[in-house]
Amino acid sequence: MHEIDLLLNGARTLIDQPMALLLALIGVALGIVIGALPGLTATMGVAILLPFTFGMDPLSGLLMISGVFFGGIYGGSIPAILLKIPGTPAAAATAIDGYELTKQGKAGIALGTATLSSFLGGLLSVIVLIFMARILAGFALEFSASESFALAVFGLTIIASISGASPIKGLIAGFAGLLLATVGLDPMGGFPRFTAGYTELFTVPFIPVMIGLFAAAEAFKSMEEPEVRGALKTALGRIIPPWSAFRGVIVTILRSSGLGILIGIIPGAGADIAAYVAYNETKRFSKAPQNFGKGELSAVAACESGANGCTGGALLTMLTLGIPGDAVTAVMLGALTLQGLQPGPLLFQDHADLVFTLFAGMIFCYVAMLFMGFASLRFMGRILQMPKSVLTPVILALCIVGTYAINNSMFDIGIMLAAGVVGYFMQKWDFPASPVVLALIMGPMAEASLRRALSLSNGSYDFLYTRPITVVLLSAAALSLLVPLLRGLRKSGGGTAEPPLNATPGRGH
Amino acid sequence: MSNAPLQGGDAGLRPRDRLATLVICALVIAVAVAAIVTAQDFPATMLATDVGPARFPIVYAVALIVLCCILAIQTLRKPIDVSGDPPATSPSHGAVAIGMAAAVACLVAMTHVGFALATLPFVAGVMWLMGQRSPIWNPVLAVVITGLIHVTFSTALGVPLPVGSLFE
Repeated sequence: MHEIDLLLNGARTLIDQPMALLLALIGVALGIVIGALPGLTATMGVAILLPFTFGMDPLSGLLMISGVFFGGIYGGSIPAILLKIPGTPAAAATAIDGYELTKQGKAGIALGTATLSSFLGGLLSVIVLIFMARILAGFALEFSASESFALAVFGLTIIASISGASPIKGLIAGFAGLLLATVGLDPMGGFPRFTAGYTELFTVPFIPVMIGLFAAAEAFKSMEEPEVRGALKTALGRIIPPWSAFRGVIVTILRSSGLGILIGIIPGAGADIAAYVAYNETKRFSKAPQNFGKGELSAVAACESGANGCTGGALLTMLTLGIPGDAVTAVMLGALTLQGLQPGPLLFQDHADLVFTLFAGMIFCYVAMLFMGFASLRFMGRILQMPKSVLTPVILALCIVGTYAINNSMFDIGIMLAAGVVGYFMQKWDFPASPVVLALIMGPMAEASLRRALSLSNGSYDFLYTRPITVVLLSAAALSLLVPLLRGLRKSGGGTAEPPLNATPGRGH
Repeated sequence: MSNAPLQGGDAGLRPRDRLATLVICALVIAVAVAAIVTAQDFPATMLATDVGPARFPIVYAVALIVLCCILAIQTLRKPIDVSGDPPATSPSHGAVAIGMAAAVACLVAMTHVGFALATLPFVAGVMWLMGQRSPIWNPVLAVVITGLIHVTFSTALGVPLPVGSLFE
């Protein structure tokens, strides 16, 4: 195949450029650190790094940025699993089951699975990017406002999956999140809604709310039982998952990576949406969906492979069409342009050597991420051995600094603390926080897309059943809601509960 | 530790759990009603085909009201469990309240004296609150933690930290 020859040539070129390889390694390491720090996202990491790449050659600069991108998406999973602090929005889904595994003393396996899943999801997405870029680019062009609305609706049905023991409380949390998501400028007319005159509220303060609901709430909760030594099972234990456990998540990783790639291709949809959709689909395909939310290894694998699968998908549309798939690739688009490269179909013709060297470098970045990830886990795991009396103020201080770093705003810290207090009481009375976060991700997308679609169709709702992708996604949303309901009815008709497992295989094996 | 009652089945509710759930429902309904009332004043957009800025908040608020009513009815219909044994160790709500107040105080102080001077006493104070009461180690650890965070964010990553109005 022509692509294989180009890739091999690219790999040979890359080997001759040790400085590019070194900068890629630095990028991955920086990305992992940035992703692991609450409030600092991969987007922010890429934006921080961008000015430093101006003086570099295109390959070195782009590889360093790619390294930060990949490392940043993966890095968010580490504090999410160890401390229930999602380093990035995508890791909020990982925190649901990852932290439960940590509480069970299985942090090592959870982190190891997250690392392997991130690597495989990312690697698969780069392979798809290399071999199917031009074919899949057309898929992105099929996505208009109506399809984005249907995707958001499909995403919102996940609330049913992550509601925990009480669906009604999950729904209340979800709708509260949707209502909260309407705070800010109206997406069509620009009218400020529920802002009380604060310009800081013109955009939904999503990350401060997320940090507050997950991390600050957890810190406040730990103050309930003051003690110098932590209650967590401190041993990190085995890091590389045993084959018996990992075998059970391979199909999950493949499916979630595929979902991540497809979602990444869709403009406006990022790793956070991919992680939640992958979580939901894995739960739907699982033989023991009741274990989700209680420390299910396949949930961690799904979220991480989905989120990292998104990277290649987002790069695909950016490189082939010049349409960024998410915020990070929007910044990368700027980096490419600054390097004198014009993304689009001609990029693959005019600069094929550079593009395929970059692809080889991206594979190198993911391999580096795998080794760096595993190498750093033992060190990261020492966090668990920190006394609770030290860990709690560290978490709170990180929450404060991380939140401030988003917009350099003290107002955001206030929002984060308020969300922390609300999150504490939500935990206390079993209202799950994840539906709020999911609603904050999907709500603005659903509203803006529906209203844009209505404008494009002159106020007609016909697009809901005349556009194939919209119909497929809305049908999937309906199924996503109905299947658990029917399953529940069937079980109540005499079925028995399955024993709890930690890594439940999908239906495929 | 969750205080929430067991879900499903005919498990009884402790009186204070029932009261808490009803209070939460009432609060959420009040917020939803306030949102509906506020949304009434949102102006329509210039587009004739647009549903306007008020439609979505109103739909979500109405759904919230309905869901809270359902939860309240479910809660009221559950039997009250008067025989429940009190938990062996009760959580320290006072420490949580002090911790929350300390975080707010840290935020207020940070606007005036900046990150380092506000975070130092906050970190040392929370350690004290969590049971670590060494007059030497608390300040030392607070300096190390604050310094590490400052170096990581401000020096290494170039992310600015609050300076404080007194030092601007």
